[in-house]
Amino acid sequence: MKKIVACYKWVVDEADIRVEGKERSLSFDRVKYKISEYDRNAIEAGALLNEEKGCQFLAVTCGANVETSLKDVLSRGPESIAYVNDGALGEADSLVTSKVLAGIIKKVGEIDLVICGEGSSDGYSQQVGPRLAALLGYASVTFVNKLELTEDGIRAERKLEDGVEVVEVTGPAVVTVLPDINKPRIPSLKQILAAKKKTAEKLGLDAIGLDSVVLKEKTLSISGTVMERKNIQINSGGMPVEEAAQKLIQQLKADGSLA
Amino acid sequence: MSNLWIISDIVETAYEMLAKARELVSDSGGSVTAFLNGSEAQAQEAISYGADLVKLMQIPEKTPWEEYVPVLVQEAQGQKPDIILVGATRRGKDLAAQLAAHLDCPCVTECKTIQYGGTKALLKRMVYGGLAEKTVECNEFPLIATVAGRTFSKWEVNDTARQGIVSTLALPDKLKVKVVERRPKPKETVNIKDAPLVVGVGRGFSEASDVKLAEELAQAMGGEVGCSRPIAEDLHWLPEDRYIGISGQVIKPEVYLAAGISGQVQHVYGIRDAKTIVVVDKNENAPIFQVADYYIVGDLKEVLPALTKAAQEAKGS
Repeated sequence: MKKIVACYKWVVDEADIRVEGKERSLSFDRVKYKISEYDRNAIEAGALLNEEKGCQFLAVTCGANVETSLKDVLSRGPESIAYVNDGALGEADSLVTSKVLAGIIKKVGEIDLVICGEGSSDGYSQQVGPRLAALLGYASVTFVNKLELTEDGIRAERKLEDGVEVVEVTGPAVVTVLPDINKPRIPSLKQILAAKKKTAEKLGLDAIGLDSVVLKEKTLSISGTVMERKNIQINSGGMPVEEAAQKLIQQLKADGSLA
Repeated sequence: MSNLWIISDIVETAYEMLAKARELVSDSGGSVTAFLNGSEAQAQEAISYGADLVKLMQIPEKTPWEEYVPVLVQEAQGQKPDIILVGATRRGKDLAAQLAAHLDCPCVTECKTIQYGGTKALLKRMVYGGLAEKTVECNEFPLIATVAGRTFSKWEVNDTARQGIVSTLALPDKLKVKVVERRPKPKETVNIKDAPLVVGVGRGFSEASDVKLAEELAQAMGGEVGCSRPIAEDLHWLPEDRYIGISGQVIKPEVYLAAGISGQVQHVYGIRDAKTIVVVDKNENAPIFQVADYYIVGDLKEVLPALTKAAQEAKGS
């Protein structure tokens, strides 16, 4: 029986971030956390292989504040979860994250297939999947929108800029999936209740062979991107639609932006 | 002395990165090596655009391009490049991340700017779906950065007198991934990236048949139709090539007209560099209005036909 892992990141919901003041600093005061959007597709892909092919399926994550995510993720299909929760991982970049995840995966052992989202919805570095493949010595198969198991590996379709590449791997692989591979489930009440009974294994950094976290890139600043726009309403004051339409077209012509 | 590498599966992006690499090497006496998915002639071209050495690494027939990684790792251990710029295509990003893991070094995805002073590099990139820009500093090398096409400009005049050495990279003996089939993308009749005006269709459209309102408007205004991700990937009302956003097309038209688009940051990422943004939507509280130059609050079914008519009349005038 094949053993599958889906990795996910517990991220701030970017829709809750406010850009404030002249310095355009970011305010995280009201942010809620969520399972990164792209990772929901990874979890769903694993859940389907569990339900349809009887694969063992567990979730893996790491971060500074991931324990609030456990029930959420377990209601989406994994049979269990293994994770590292450590304050040192608050600023973890792809280099650190992939090392920790690789450590957890090795510790769990005998994993045939690792599924990741194509990127995280906060940093979107799109590195963790292929980095994991390199660290684990697995095949890397990225940007996949069709995935099936074969007797001794996988067959997948990669969506690239110039077309589709259909690939086969014999042996273990790390796959990153695109949003169009599936439609992530909205957990039912039954699945939410069942999640409470599933096991969550907490691992320390030392347990996975990492004694310290070294960040090789330093974040100097993060500021809201400036997009200066005119913000002019054309149809203010109950102007009829036809008139507003003419006014807009004339305006664009006057700006030189319409031939 | 600094040695720089550039790696790209798209030659045009390679030429652009070469100009940047030459600037970063400046007068330190370092060299620039280009790893190129290209022909012998393109290798010569790369030399005239700034490469000292070119190593050809064409996309293999039976295995993905990224399988060159172990060979690149060996080369890197020998040549010790300080900075490696990789063209940020999907193949490039996969290759860059694997290479970074093997070299145990940072990789900055899709950097917008890069400054390098020999001991320290500063890079900027977008985070939170384009909501914010992050500046990172790296003091350890090698450093890998991926670069999207058109981020930098190639030399306006290439120097055909430049001399360089061209060789071909061999694939490793052991391959992990087998390519069983390649299906080229059907040739799109248009590329929305080239359109001077794009009308974006969003979830504000209640049914597929309404998309023609946007198509008629785009035609009247001399542009093309684009859309948000759900329109292409969930509803399949328009082909995937037309979806705009962080994981789709990033466009820079004269005018972007958002129709029925709510304005999630992931979508806005793709229209950030539009010269003028026009928004039409019923829901005045939609975030898209915050990025509008001009907007009309109203029903798409009334506003779009009115705009089409006004554009047609204006053409005749």
